[in-house]
Amino acid sequence: MLNLGLDVVTTAAILFIVSAGLLMIFGVMKIINFSHGAFLTLGGYSSVIVGHAGLNWWWSVPFALLTGFVLGIGVERFIVRPLYARPLDAILATWGLGIIVGQIITLVFGREVQMVVSPVDGAIAVFGGHYSVYRLILVGVAVLVALALGGLLNGTRLGLQTRAVIMNESLARALGISSARVRFMTFCTGAALASAAGALITPLSSVDPNMGVPWIVGAFMLVLVSGSSLLSLALASLVLGGAQVLVSTFVNPVLGGLTIAVLAALLLRLRPEGFARG
Amino acid sequence: MADPVSSISIPTATTAPWKGPVALGVAGLVVLAVCSVAMPTFLVNNLIRAFLYAAVALTVDLLWGYTGILTFGQSAFFGIGAYAAGLIFTHLGFSWGYAALALVAGIGVAWAVSRVVGWLAFYHGASPLYASVVTLVLPIVLVQGIYSGGEFTGSSSGLSGFDSFDIPIELWFFIAGAFLIVLAVMAWLFVSSDAGRLLVAIRENEVRCEYLGIDVSRYKARLMDTAAVIAALAGFLFACVQMVVAPEYAGFVFGTELVIWVALGGRGSLLGPIVGTMLIDVGSAYLSGDLPYIWTLLVGIAFVVVIVAMPRGLAPLIAGGVRHLVPRRRRAAAVPVAFCSAQARAQDHAHDAWPALSVHDVQKHFGSLKVLDGITFDARAGELLSLIGPNGAGKSTLMRCIADGAERSGGSVKISGTEIGTLAPYDCVALGVGRKFQTATVFESLTVGEALRIARHRVAPPSRWRREPTLALPQPALDVLRTTGLDRMSDRECRYLSHGQKQALELAMVLALEPHTVLLDEPTAGLTKQERTQIGEIFVALSSRYRMCLLLVEHDLDFVQQISSRIVVLHQGRIVMDGGVDEVVGSELVRAVYAGESHAGEPRVGELNSEGQP
Repeated sequence: MLNLGLDVVTTAAILFIVSAGLLMIFGVMKIINFSHGAFLTLGGYSSVIVGHAGLNWWWSVPFALLTGFVLGIGVERFIVRPLYARPLDAILATWGLGIIVGQIITLVFGREVQMVVSPVDGAIAVFGGHYSVYRLILVGVAVLVALALGGLLNGTRLGLQTRAVIMNESLARALGISSARVRFMTFCTGAALASAAGALITPLSSVDPNMGVPWIVGAFMLVLVSGSSLLSLALASLVLGGAQVLVSTFVNPVLGGLTIAVLAALLLRLRPEGFARG
Repeated sequence: MADPVSSISIPTATTAPWKGPVALGVAGLVVLAVCSVAMPTFLVNNLIRAFLYAAVALTVDLLWGYTGILTFGQSAFFGIGAYAAGLIFTHLGFSWGYAALALVAGIGVAWAVSRVVGWLAFYHGASPLYASVVTLVLPIVLVQGIYSGGEFTGSSSGLSGFDSFDIPIELWFFIAGAFLIVLAVMAWLFVSSDAGRLLVAIRENEVRCEYLGIDVSRYKARLMDTAAVIAALAGFLFACVQMVVAPEYAGFVFGTELVIWVALGGRGSLLGPIVGTMLIDVGSAYLSGDLPYIWTLLVGIAFVVVIVAMPRGLAPLIAGGVRHLVPRRRRAAAVPVAFCSAQARAQDHAHDAWPALSVHDVQKHFGSLKVLDGITFDARAGELLSLIGPNGAGKSTLMRCIADGAERSGGSVKISGTEIGTLAPYDCVALGVGRKFQTATVFESLTVGEALRIARHRVAPPSRWRREPTLALPQPALDVLRTTGLDRMSDRECRYLSHGQKQALELAMVLALEPHTVLLDEPTAGLTKQERTQIGEIFVALSSRYRMCLLLVEHDLDFVQQISSRIVVLHQGRIVMDGGVDEVVGSELVRAVYAGESHAGEPRVGELNSEGQP
């Protein structure tokens, strides 16, 4: 029972970490970044590179942030910016980018699964039971991500401008805010976050050229039901992630894998604003 | 973004529109028959698969390229058709009877699934992104279902080794090719018919379509049903030829590949997606063996480049090449549509007992903010009622509450005595309400004649197979066209019209609906003095000669004074005055409201209301 509760909380934390970058981009730009999966994969391979270089696994997080940010610069400039007025096309172009990144990684690293050394081992005793240490650490990481993003949005000038663009872009522009700069920074931050998330999930999932794909749909659905609010995303991760854990445990794992997508689609049909403002 | 459609459509002659497509189709069949015996077996095998994929790509093109519904789910319907055959042949054995059963089952299941998808994805007010999400979830759910089917569905390895029709590969080649050609010819006839233009109209401006009395969601759902059935049929043929089915054919990745092929070939054209699909599929059969990852990488790069830089795909290039090779082809010999007078429909005199429009205690609030509060008035046929008031008084909101039953928060609106309840805009149109938007809203890439035919869709459903040479319009709409000279421009694309002409066209489209009550939101905004006078005369004629009830939102008091029969003053969501023209225009209250002294007139409100009623 306690394990189940921890499963729910840690699953929600993982979903939150994986979706946060996508939410940033969707919230500000109203664009679904379907190359999110490719950025997750990029982060995964950042861990692999760090491992090859003989560095401690924890170096892979800043390294993944950096690679994600740098690739994000190019993607924003050449793919996302021209498609700002065509949001459905942006989905397609970023999906195409995902194909490109996947193939390049395959060409460089090969198709096989890469091994990554886990940063912490085993389980610790929690309230009389045993539980994976790393999953518990991720709960802390999720809180850190939320606090950092919240601090960025509420504590900096760029964050204030970003919130203005989220609420009313044309008004923000009229007030002299460069929405192009806000969008640029948002995309790069979102891409960096996605990449870091990819590095963070390596101890839990295998690293291969398509490792990001299974995560996209779940993250995508969570973001759609959350709108542009981090709080809604946390709530959605907890509720839908919890439902996923429960269905996987008590019904069957295949249905569990579908829970988020199906529940979110139904929720949006009945309540188009999803978890936002409610 | 409006990209013109069917750039490679060869001009359709008005006399026998089916001749061109059918002749080309027959020629295609002959070429097919020759190729089936002349080509090497490896190529024949690959082309069979490419033909069937191209058929599915064509449905993606109809949904996405023409109508604007980005779908990732056509692979699921293909998979349903294929698995129906695979499952029945594996578990029951093969016979012609079972084959027929599999075909019916595949199509039936695909249709039923499509109905569910349609219910989920298309409803009044749904966002296009949501529809895409639903089509994305569908193949994912289906594939997981196949995985968990164990022995029965063959799980991740699929089903193979079942028996199928014992016919030679050359014949399959002909069957698959003929299937594609017949489909392409029918699609061609449909998209270039009068009814087919509605697809483009929906892509360009869904809201305008709804306010022209068209139930867009229903139309999209029916289109998806048709596309689902076609994809299932292709899937059935695929399973019969290949004698293998696998989850990948139903999956989301295949769904995205279909979109990629259509995008590369050229969305919104018919030949583009077919050529795109066949080139890439056959190309990968030859090249992916030698250059396994490079090939996919190149396709990915081409896809991104096309989406970003050439949204219409390679079709315009192909079309340009064809035109270059055949320089003296008759170009667009289509005769412009001629307008004629529609027979006046029998007037329903039962309605005359009721006011054309009756608004009672209408409220609208956003949270605690009250935008409209206790709005009550009647308007009769033949009245030209102007709504005035400062910005933010709630005038446009009131218009919306009359034209869309779901808008208001409280109160009742009756059109000719019928309560609108929570009816959607297209049902309000059926009751006799026509609404002209504040900014001129037309269909940029349709011609004037096509746009007007869309407006007649509800009254006179257009042909699905041809273009009619004439378009019958009610007299008021014709008057507007004649006065503004638009009647001589029926073949001009709306995007090339001036602002004033767009305003006039939209008005004519609204009048083509044969409304009893017309809502006009700032119809003279941005017009020249002369255009303004012209349109004012038209309004007066609509109310006095054609006995329509006009509700007009205007800022220009002089204009209002000249044409109105009655004026209602709105201020901070309430009616502060309702009376004859001279009475209102001359009143202190109106001056006070416009000068911004919000409370100056309040004590007089009740008094004026009672006096002001005609």
